[in-house]
Amino acid sequence: MDNRRYMSLLKLDDAELRARMSACELTSEDLERLRRLRPFAEKHTADVVNAFYELLLTHAQMRKFFPDEATIRRVKRTQSEYFLGLFEGRVDLAYVEDRLRVGAMHERIGLSPKWYLAAYRKYLDLLHTLVYAEYPAAEARAFFGSIKKIVFFDMAIAIDTYIAANLETIQRHQVALRELSTPVIRVHDRVLLLPIVGAIDSVRANQIMDTVLMRIVEEKAKCIILDIAGVAVVDTKVADNLVKTTASVRLLGAQTILTGISAQVARTIVQLGVDISTMHTRARLQEGIELALDMVGKTIAPKNGVEVAAP
Amino acid sequence: MSGIIPILRLGDVLLTTVHVELRDAVAEAFQTDVLSAIERSRAAGLIIDISGLDMVDSYVARILAETGRMARLMGTETVLCGMRPEVSATLVRMGFPMGTVQTALDLDEGLALLKGANGG
Repeated sequence: MDNRRYMSLLKLDDAELRARMSACELTSEDLERLRRLRPFAEKHTADVVNAFYELLLTHAQMRKFFPDEATIRRVKRTQSEYFLGLFEGRVDLAYVEDRLRVGAMHERIGLSPKWYLAAYRKYLDLLHTLVYAEYPAAEARAFFGSIKKIVFFDMAIAIDTYIAANLETIQRHQVALRELSTPVIRVHDRVLLLPIVGAIDSVRANQIMDTVLMRIVEEKAKCIILDIAGVAVVDTKVADNLVKTTASVRLLGAQTILTGISAQVARTIVQLGVDISTMHTRARLQEGIELALDMVGKTIAPKNGVEVAAP
Repeated sequence: MSGIIPILRLGDVLLTTVHVELRDAVAEAFQTDVLSAIERSRAAGLIIDISGLDMVDSYVARILAETGRMARLMGTETVLCGMRPEVSATLVRMGFPMGTVQTALDLDEGLALLKGANGG
């Protein structure tokens, strides 16, 4: 994963870093205190991490994120590094970039913030017990206060990254969906086919038009078959969009063939009074392909002149 | 303004490539040039190549469509060729589908179309 990209997505620069630190009241004194806790932390790393995972693994829904022993060993190692990182006493852009990985990774494996936050509470609980056992109450309170600050600082970054990564995933899916929704297929030299499935709204209509025109020029196509067998409802708007697409295809010097017109659709088009006289229309895709091939001077002939009876 | 857009003669076809923006005076001159070239040459076909234009507004579109219709009156078939996808999409979205002028993907296609029309 590209952590740098998340840094820029979250606009994490020096000013933002300072703002986040001051929002958590994370001061240089806190950092100093955390640094002093480092030997204590090193002593207890294994205990904390082991106890933490013991608690996590008792929870059925969290356990599914740790399917096998190898995974658990690996996350324990990562967790130890993470834990010691809290007591570096150093918060800068490099630290933040390291912390980003938590949110990005959680998004990737589908571990939602509710589990992350719930688990972190347990983590804090363990730390709380240990700190109060090691130090006198007043000192322990100060230490634990600093721990809370850096922990909340970390959580904010992890969750922000989670959200950013999530948004990115959604955007990626939308792009993929858009591409999938206009699959222009080359049927033969200079003959294209676009099967249209599902509802056509104005965004999709525009996209269909742009894609069709682009592909016609790319492929030097003579004609494009629009198969609307998969379009459930053809209303005035859809019909109008098809007419527009046909008109712009014609301007390029190619032709449109509309196929897959059911009895219902034919009735609707006529009753709506849409003029589709500019389009070649055929009931079935097969006839559309035959017409298209005819336009490019080809024909489908029976092999050896013997027609095989249709089933 | 006359002569900015050259008109070539290729057999019985006139060939012109619009490569500059057709602004008012240029457009008028272009139309006049084309029509007088048809008058002189008695060409059977006229090809207007607009692959060089990345923007065609309704004025230019009207000039081109009109020129085609005028040429037809004089017995010359016009083919508009090489229109870019974005130009075509814009024209149709603006509600200007260019009337009945014939179109072709590129120059080759345009020539083939004219040949077919003349039974050659």
